[in-house]
Amino acid sequence: MSDAPQLVVAVDRVRCIGSGLCARTAPADLVLSPDGRAAPARPATEGSAELTEAAEMCPVEAITVRDAATGELIAPAW
Amino acid sequence: MTTDATTGSADPQPLVPLHCLLRGEAGPPRQAVLPTGTPVWVLTRHADVRQALAHPALGRASLYAPDAPPTVLTPNILDDPSSILNSDGPGHQAIRRTVQRAFTPRAIERWRPWVAGVVRELVDGLVASGSPAEVVESLTKPLPVRVISRLMELEGLDTDRLGYWSDHALSTTAYSAEEIAAAIREFGEFGHQLVLERRKNPGEDLVSSLVRAADQTGEMTEAQITSLTIGLVIAGHETTMTSFGNALVYLLDPRRAEHPGAAAGAWRRIGEDPAAAVAATEQILRTVPLGDRTNAPGQLRRATADVEIGGVVIPAGAVVAADTTAANADPEVYPPGPLDLFAPLGTPSLTFGAGPHHCLGAWLARMELELGLHHLARALPGLRLATPVDRIEWRTGLLTRSPLRLEVAW
Ligand code: SF4
Repeated sequence: MSDAPQLVVAVDRVRCIGSGLCARTAPADLVLSPDGRAAPARPATEGSAELTEAAEMCPVEAITVRDAATGELIAPAW
Repeated sequence: MTTDATTGSADPQPLVPLHCLLRGEAGPPRQAVLPTGTPVWVLTRHADVRQALAHPALGRASLYAPDAPPTVLTPNILDDPSSILNSDGPGHQAIRRTVQRAFTPRAIERWRPWVAGVVRELVDGLVASGSPAEVVESLTKPLPVRVISRLMELEGLDTDRLGYWSDHALSTTAYSAEEIAAAIREFGEFGHQLVLERRKNPGEDLVSSLVRAADQTGEMTEAQITSLTIGLVIAGHETTMTSFGNALVYLLDPRRAEHPGAAAGAWRRIGEDPAAAVAATEQILRTVPLGDRTNAPGQLRRATADVEIGGVVIPAGAVVAADTTAANADPEVYPPGPLDLFAPLGTPSLTFGAGPHHCLGAWLARMELELGLHHLARALPGLRLATPVDRIEWRTGLLTRSPLRLEVAW
C-alpha cells in the first residue's frame, strides 16, 4: 500500500457537535475526545471506505479528508 | 376541538411572547426538582450543556429503565421507549446512520430551489389575499407541512388529522393521558401502514430509503422504524411552524427595538439581503426559545456512571437537565447586552442540541426559516403586527408554544 496517497483528516472543532458518528464509523481515523469533540486519530492515513463515509455523514460537515501532498479535497465529495 | 384545548384565551394573564421569557442565568450546576418531585441537576453554562449532551454516560434510554425515577407527569410521544430519541449507544448510532445522509447540509441544500418555490407561492397567496391577513394558516403552518409531505411523499395527507396527532403527541397539559395515548396509537397505525406500503412499493422518498436501509442492516425493530417515521412527520413540521411564528412575533414586535424604527429597519434588511436573513435566522434560533418548558428545566438525561461536569460529580442514576436556553445566552460565549441580529454567531448555538441526539432536521429547519423570513420581508417590507403583542392567542399546553393566529397588516 506504499503508493496509496497519504491523506490528512481534519475536524473543525468549532462546528463539531459531538455526535460520535464518525468515531463509531471510522474508529481507526477519528476519536471522540472527552470534551465531546471529535479529533483525528493519527497524523496521516491511507483512507478507507469507512473514513469517506464518516466524512460524508457528519451532521454538520465538520470533517475534511485531503490529499497530504496536493491539498485536494477527497471527502466529502458529493 | 384542538383549538379549544390549546388556546390561551382563557388565561387571565396574557402570556408574554417567547423572546421576552426570563431565562436562567448561566452558572455552575445547581440542584432543582422536576414537577414529578424527582431531583435534577440543572446545567446552564454553554460548555457544561454541550459536554453533557455529548457524554456517553449521560443517556436517554436510562430515563426509562425500570429503576428510573418519574420525570414526566403525562407521557407524550417523546416518552416512547422504542423511539430513536430514547435509545443510546451503538443501537442508536445504527439507526442514525440509516437516516443521517438525507439530512447533511449538502443533502438539504439540494432542496433549496424547491423550498424557495413553495415559500414564494405561499407568500404570493398571502399578498394576494390583501391586508390584513392571518399568517399562521397561510404561511407558517403550510410551509413545513408541504416540505415534509414532499420529502416523505405524503401527498393527500389530511392536515387536520396531522394537526390533531401532533398536538396530542406533544401535549404536556392540553390533553389527558388517555387522549394522548389514543391519538399516538392512531398516528402509529398510520405510520406503520406507511412503512408497509413503502416496503412493498419503494420510491425515492425518505420513508422508502429509511425502510430500505433499516431492512438491509436489520438493526431496527418494526416499532422503531414506525416510531422514527412518525417522529419525522411531527418534528418536520411542528418545530419549524413554532419557530417561524415566534420569529415573526419577535421581529415585528414594535416594542422590541432600542429606538423607534429599528425593528422595521431590521425587517427590511432581511428582505433585501439573503445573507442578512441567514445571520438573523441563526440569532433568532439562538435567542427565541420554542416553548415555556414548564415540564422540565432543560433536555433530560440520566447518568449511567459517575460523571464530572462543571466541577461537580453527578452520581450514577441521577437525572440531569441541560438548559440549552440558558446556555444560548451564556455571556462567556455570546456577548451580553442588546442583540445584534446580523452578527455572526461564532460558536454554534445549542438550539438543536449536541451529541448523538443532535436534531436530525437542523439544516432543513434553518433553511425553511431563513427562506420564509427573507421572501416574506422582500414581498412585504412594511409588514407589521395587526394585533398588539399582549393580545396574541397562543397554542398552550404543549411542549412548544406559538401563536394560534397572527394577524398582520401592510
Ligand atoms: S460526526 Fe461530525 S459532529 Fe459528529 S463527532 Fe464526528 S466530527 Fe463531530
